[in-house]
Amino acid sequence: MKKIFYIFLLLLSYFIQGQSKYITKTGLISFEASVPSFEEVTARNNAVTAIINTQNGEFASLALVNGFRFKNALMEEHFNENYAESSEFPKTTFKGKIIEFSLKSNEYKIEGDLTFHGKTKSLKNIPIKLEIIDNEIIMSGNFEVKTSDFEVKIPKIVANKVSELVKVNFLFKLIKK
Amino acid sequence: MKNILVILIFLPLFSSSQEDLLNEIDSDSTINQYTIATFKGLKIVNFESTKLVAKKELTFVVSHRFGSIENGIDTFFGLDDAVTRLNFIYGLTDWLNISASRSSYQKIYEAAIKYRLFRQQENGFPVTIVGYHSILVNTALEEVNLPKLEFKNRLGYTTQLIVARKVNKNLSIEIIPTFFHDNLVVIDEQDNSQFALGFGGRYKLSTRWSLNADYGWHLNRASNSPFKNPLSIGVDLETGGHVFQMHFTNSQPMNTNGFLGQSTGDWSDGNIYFGFNLSRTF
Repeated sequence: MKKIFYIFLLLLSYFIQGQSKYITKTGLISFEASVPSFEEVTARNNAVTAIINTQNGEFASLALVNGFRFKNALMEEHFNENYAESSEFPKTTFKGKIIEFSLKSNEYKIEGDLTFHGKTKSLKNIPIKLEIIDNEIIMSGNFEVKTSDFEVKIPKIVANKVSELVKVNFLFKLIKK
Repeated sequence: MKNILVILIFLPLFSSSQEDLLNEIDSDSTINQYTIATFKGLKIVNFESTKLVAKKELTFVVSHRFGSIENGIDTFFGLDDAVTRLNFIYGLTDWLNISASRSSYQKIYEAAIKYRLFRQQENGFPVTIVGYHSILVNTALEEVNLPKLEFKNRLGYTTQLIVARKVNKNLSIEIIPTFFHDNLVVIDEQDNSQFALGFGGRYKLSTRWSLNADYGWHLNRASNSPFKNPLSIGVDLETGGHVFQMHFTNSQPMNTNGFLGQSTGDWSDGNIYFGFNLSRTF
């Protein structure tokens, strides 16, 4: 009887652990580095993996750099070959924590480390919105980064067409694991 | 026994607090990415590269080959005798292109298809293989000069297999086995069916500049043929929306049958042509 109780407890503990994680493999990240009145420089990736642990508010996401789709194929090739150097640095990741996470409120702030092009930049106080519906958490927000934070060089010849300030939007529909 | 159970029970709790969430989703450590940017232009210089126009995109390429520079200022280094080719290439899919062009050299119209069979992968297939076929119509031939001329005499065909490998970040090389056929050849002794082996390469000098060269080795040229093998050297300049190619070549014609079969220039005596290919994608 005792044994069964322990086994039950054992299973329960794994079960509980499984319950506290929400995951998606079809998260969306888009960014824009356009300059007004010039050709739009924007791309989106809708195969981003993200995971959240509701026990402690930890969050992580991962995207393949060559999964970003641009308006035209040549721009996408330039981005991968000369800016992001995606064959050398194929992944971009974020690892961080939602501050004062409680599952009660809808608005939080997140902080953590964003890695892109082999360089890591820590982000602080990024406001996010969380909607919790049954087995789903919808997380969204946006922030800005500079290309120089990640040692991405913009050649002089296109400097007036590509913004150094990049706006990033994200939207994750995380489903209970 | 009890202790082990207790550990087992609490293990998940410990592990969940210590384990890295990122590692949990970062499972596939080896990614089999396709190699990108082997060549940036649709052509190396004269030879086709393995690059294709993307799906539903239209690329317009204007190519010029000026006259021979050997006449110097008299023809303004060849500017007076320029040959122009206008080429429209459309991507039906990412792996299948169709194109139509008109060259002022012998007033040639050309229609072509280009398709990709294999793609080089970072940790997989070693080369990219592309097929290219075209049909040409020489509309400059005059019946006044050639009374027995029939329409079929104006036609020419090209078939190529283009094999390229990006060796490293900066160097890409290509080999192009070619078969081409002209229904009418200038020299009687010349076989109508001709074979050639093309060689080409791109070396990146910086993020926007690269050095390009290609050479065509004709395998069954008639012994009394005045024509030479084409050698071309140039640079690519990338400016975001397009690629600008500038080069020197001993071939003024730009269609495959032309530059392989009828190049008259000669590097050894300075009889070469300056030219450029300018592409714009819509």
